[in-house]
Amino acid sequence: MAACARRLAVSMTKYTSNHGIFRSMVPRAAGVGAFRTSSTTSQTDLHPTIRPVNAVERTTVSEYGQYVAECLPKYVQQVQVSAGNELEILIAPEGVIPVLTFLRDHINAQYTCITDLCGMDVPTREYRFEVIYNLLSVRYNTRIRVKTYTDELTPLDSACEVFQGANWYEREVWDMFGVYFSNHPDLRRILTDYGFEGHPFRKDFPLTGYVECRYDDEEKRVVMEPVELAQEFRKFDLSAPWEQFPQFRKALEKAEVDEETQPK
Amino acid sequence: MSSSRLVNLRTARQVKPMLSLDRAEARTRVINLYKAWYRQIPQIAIDYDLPKTQSECKKKLKEMFMKNKDVKDIRIIDALVIKGQMELKETVQVWKQKHGIMAFWAPTVEPKPKDFMGKFLDGHN
Repeated sequence: MAACARRLAVSMTKYTSNHGIFRSMVPRAAGVGAFRTSSTTSQTDLHPTIRPVNAVERTTVSEYGQYVAECLPKYVQQVQVSAGNELEILIAPEGVIPVLTFLRDHINAQYTCITDLCGMDVPTREYRFEVIYNLLSVRYNTRIRVKTYTDELTPLDSACEVFQGANWYEREVWDMFGVYFSNHPDLRRILTDYGFEGHPFRKDFPLTGYVECRYDDEEKRVVMEPVELAQEFRKFDLSAPWEQFPQFRKALEKAEVDEETQPK
Repeated sequence: MSSSRLVNLRTARQVKPMLSLDRAEARTRVINLYKAWYRQIPQIAIDYDLPKTQSECKKKLKEMFMKNKDVKDIRIIDALVIKGQMELKETVQVWKQKHGIMAFWAPTVEPKPKDFMGKFLDGHN
């Protein structure tokens, strides 16, 4: 495993150094073959599926994150850059309005467009819901992600006063996760049916839901009933019968063989 | 961690209120919601052509509220009030359909057997 990782690292640096030529010169199959059978340390190839590292962009993005954190020290808790050079700003829930206003109005940000707002549920956390705002700056052609957290009973401030477009997104998060947004102009269900119970994107929501509808011949109308399953869900064995990572198995076997032969 | 310390932590934790700041306010909200539903009952009965008398509707309304009579947490009360208000709006605007209103009575749902023999005959334990 360690050897593999080292090889990967080597090939990654290679990729960045001669990025331009590389793609055209080394065919895909040759790259894979060399990776598997390589016994030499001098790796000339590179896995074609590895993303090139754009170091310049990464520094720019992380410096900008630093700048935002220094501008809003009260609300920004952490700034991180994801693997794809996406800037993520983790803020306290009280800071939704100020941070979004800053990002929209500041001359060096101008994130005037809210591309998405969504929720995430991690039941093991103290504040189980994460609410994620994705913003786009048309002026600088950059995107930013603002994350905050809440639980079932803590209201978040609605972003509608900063971004009109957040209206339906927040309704969606309310409907799917049950996160309440205070000062929202029109908070009601948007995706589920009237009379639907529960919030379906919560992890503790059962696969079947809580109620089901059917036509009842005696009542001569549709009736809603609590879900009752005639039998349990089937459990499928989803593991494939063939091996997915044979090269790791070979490395393991070799190491085991070495260990066995050494003491003798 | 001892249970008393846990309780202390829980009570000491500062939480953001949903709507109400104290129990009296939460209670007022619940009563207001109850009154709003109560006043809408005649109109709802006409709109949905319910096969129920008004007294039956009022009884059901009270039953639905009394289901949550033991809820003590102010924030949970507020959350329930918010959901109740949304449901009232859906009902009054006739966004719901008749089966959505009739689901409160659930005439087709057979109560589950509670005793041993009943469960056995029903086929599950």
